[in-house]
Amino acid sequence: MLDFLQAVSDGVLFGATYALIGIGFTLVFGVMHKLNLAYAAASVGGAYAGLLVLGVMAGAPPWLVFLCAFAAGGVLGYLVYLSCFHFIPLGSPLATLMATVGMLLLIDEVIVHFTNGMPLAYPAMFDDVMLRAGELTLRGDLLLVFGIAVLCMVGLLLLLYRTRLGLATRAVSQQSVAAQLCGIRVGLVNAMTFVITGLLGGIAGALIGASVGALSPLLTTPLTVKGLIVTVIGGLGSIPGAIIAGLLVGGFENVFQLFRGVTERDLYVMLLLFVFLVFRPGGLFESKDDHH
Amino acid sequence: MLDLRQVARHFGGVRAVDGLELTVGDGEIVGLIGPNGSGKSTTVNLITGALPLTSGVIYFRGRDIGPLPTHLRLRAGIARTFQNIRLFGQLTVWQNVWVAQNSLEDRARRGFFSRWLGGRAGVRDEITQLLEFGGLAHKRDELAANLAFGEQRRLELARALAAKPKLLLLDEPAAGMNSEEIGQLRERIVSLRQRGVTILLIEHVMELVMGVADRIAVLNFGQKIAEGAPAEIQADPLVRRAYLGGKA
Amino acid sequence: MDFYFGLAQLVGVHTLLGLSAYIVLLTGQVSLAQAGFFAVGAYTAGMLTVLAGWHLVPALGIGAIVSAATACAVGFPALRVKGLMLVIATLAFGEAVRLFFFNFDYQIAKGDIKVGPLGGEGFRQIRFFPENGWGTLEVMLFMWVFVLLVMALLWWFDRSRYGTALRAVGEDEVAAQAVGINLTAIKVSAMTVGGAIAGIGGGLYAHYTTHIEHSSFNILVATFALAYPIVGGLQSVFGTLIAVIFVQAFLIEGLRELGDWRNLLFGALIVLAMNLRPNGILDARALAALKRAFTRGRNA
Repeated sequence: MLDFLQAVSDGVLFGATYALIGIGFTLVFGVMHKLNLAYAAASVGGAYAGLLVLGVMAGAPPWLVFLCAFAAGGVLGYLVYLSCFHFIPLGSPLATLMATVGMLLLIDEVIVHFTNGMPLAYPAMFDDVMLRAGELTLRGDLLLVFGIAVLCMVGLLLLLYRTRLGLATRAVSQQSVAAQLCGIRVGLVNAMTFVITGLLGGIAGALIGASVGALSPLLTTPLTVKGLIVTVIGGLGSIPGAIIAGLLVGGFENVFQLFRGVTERDLYVMLLLFVFLVFRPGGLFESKDDHH
Repeated sequence: MLDLRQVARHFGGVRAVDGLELTVGDGEIVGLIGPNGSGKSTTVNLITGALPLTSGVIYFRGRDIGPLPTHLRLRAGIARTFQNIRLFGQLTVWQNVWVAQNSLEDRARRGFFSRWLGGRAGVRDEITQLLEFGGLAHKRDELAANLAFGEQRRLELARALAAKPKLLLLDEPAAGMNSEEIGQLRERIVSLRQRGVTILLIEHVMELVMGVADRIAVLNFGQKIAEGAPAEIQADPLVRRAYLGGKA
Repeated sequence: MDFYFGLAQLVGVHTLLGLSAYIVLLTGQVSLAQAGFFAVGAYTAGMLTVLAGWHLVPALGIGAIVSAATACAVGFPALRVKGLMLVIATLAFGEAVRLFFFNFDYQIAKGDIKVGPLGGEGFRQIRFFPENGWGTLEVMLFMWVFVLLVMALLWWFDRSRYGTALRAVGEDEVAAQAVGINLTAIKVSAMTVGGAIAGIGGGLYAHYTTHIEHSSFNILVATFALAYPIVGGLQSVFGTLIAVIFVQAFLIEGLRELGDWRNLLFGALIVLAMNLRPNGILDARALAALKRAFTRGRNA
């Protein structure tokens, strides 16, 4: 029983990173009604870019690396926007989908190139701290990961609901043509959406690297799949859905691993997705505006 | 032919259509008018099955078509045109009509393989006739998206007729047309009635409706507020108020 | 010469993969599950020739049937999932199939060695071709008989009412229903046919590489399957073929010139292609121009 609770608690804490990735996918979908398959790759890319800080300043503190990953994620997000969404006409959704696949491959290969495919160690903070809550052990670094992720989510929600940019973003996601007619610069909103989700992605990648202790280009594919699963379970376009689904998937994943081991774990995560697709295809929080 | 009994469609608190009773007899041309938002398009969607009924029953030729999905209602004999033209833009004029030949009669006449995988030989004459009726025979191989607006409207009609319907629902066919085009449309509708097609005409353009309908029903806020011959409707104060607001 | 036969084999298998995604794409369903059906066909055909000693042709047939049945089973729930959600759902399905084979063991003893799929190690010794004395040329010709048959079938569909109905559904489901097209029948049948095509491709793939494992059917393969018809253009089956030749030629020839950089440039190439020609290499205009060129030649 204790093992089970421990697995759940560790999983949920780690799941906050999945939530961030899920938010990234879902926000782009909500605003542009398009899928950015390159997102998880860009997040991992941002995390790797964070390591450049260590290249420049050998003993740099981990939070500086995280900050750099955060910023790099934003830059990568904008690059993905430019290469996949800015020039391709709206009437060609397949083209944008394929373009994001191309970017996914490109980013992956750039990472492999510069690291020769070897995993790189990633700095963590408070990894030697262990808090106890009753019988459960809470790893310090996971708590930090969870904390930072929560901060980012709060920041995003504040942005969306308390700023003009956020208002414009929500307007565009609901009625992009009307928003344009009201004078909202849709192109700018779209670009900013990518930058913001890119920032989130960069920090998510860094947090994942921090909790695992290392980054590897092999991370991209499972992260893309899990991120998409989180998005679907949460409901495409719903941020609260992505948050809850992320924690859910993190928790379930760890529990599956406890009972069936690492090799079968992912298969069960798929099954979880299929259960949702059969019983609740709209996800936990079905989006009310379904115009696709 | 068509019998709507206490038909209702609610979207949450909004009663798009409420307690609607409407009959269309064989061979009639019935007009359905009303201000914007009165429930005309919703009614069409309920009849074709694009929207499920919240309550009430729809009888078509004596049969409750409620449980039938849209494509089976087409087979039963109900065809429609769309208010904002929904042609298959990337298909040619010919293909748009060809793919719509799904009537029970056609299904009985040709076997499964012949109908779906066979060539055009068996249906060439029929499709050509339909295209000629719409004045589109010379544009057979043109992509539907490249047609002029008027031509697209005529193709919508030809496509609806491809299914040999008993009842044809025309959803605002005159929108965007000038007087000459409306006159041509009117003639086409009349000749369709002569061929035995019953017509329910949803329309805003009074010039068309008043000139061609046997009977007109008026909707407002989802309910029928008047019904009768065109002359009666034109004189009805309730109708005036619905359209113009305020005192009749 | 053998090198070019090998290349032709690769192009053949990938064309089948692309065509399986093509027919599903026509109905507006973006499916990343084709790699999964490909895997099912590969393992089934492989197991029949290796473990049950069957001849390749019936093994391919059963492989295609099993893949088609799997695709049909996927096709029905896929109806409930719209648009981009389907992309994700099929992606997950493909991954689930891969993970299934990652954990799948079924070995029997043949003489003193054990043959059959062995989880992560994969399925080795699929040696029907070498054991029966088939040379590279024969294998290539055999494969291409199937590729050409499938292309001919799809070309025929494209000219028939079925193909027109597929495209009508892909364009506007509401209008398609309104003219009497049975959406379920069209979408599920397309998925099933796509599954069968992928199954044949998979069976051929297993036998020409003689060794398959779960990683041969990963997301990358699934996206390649989808990339071919999208990059090639959905107007004609030839678009997919051209895209396969273009991509594979680039990847293989690129290895010589660009070495390690080719994968990187490949991604960049796709991004560029989609920006320059969003409707594919052989889009409607290109196809119309080609047709005019051919008929002009004939009339001259």
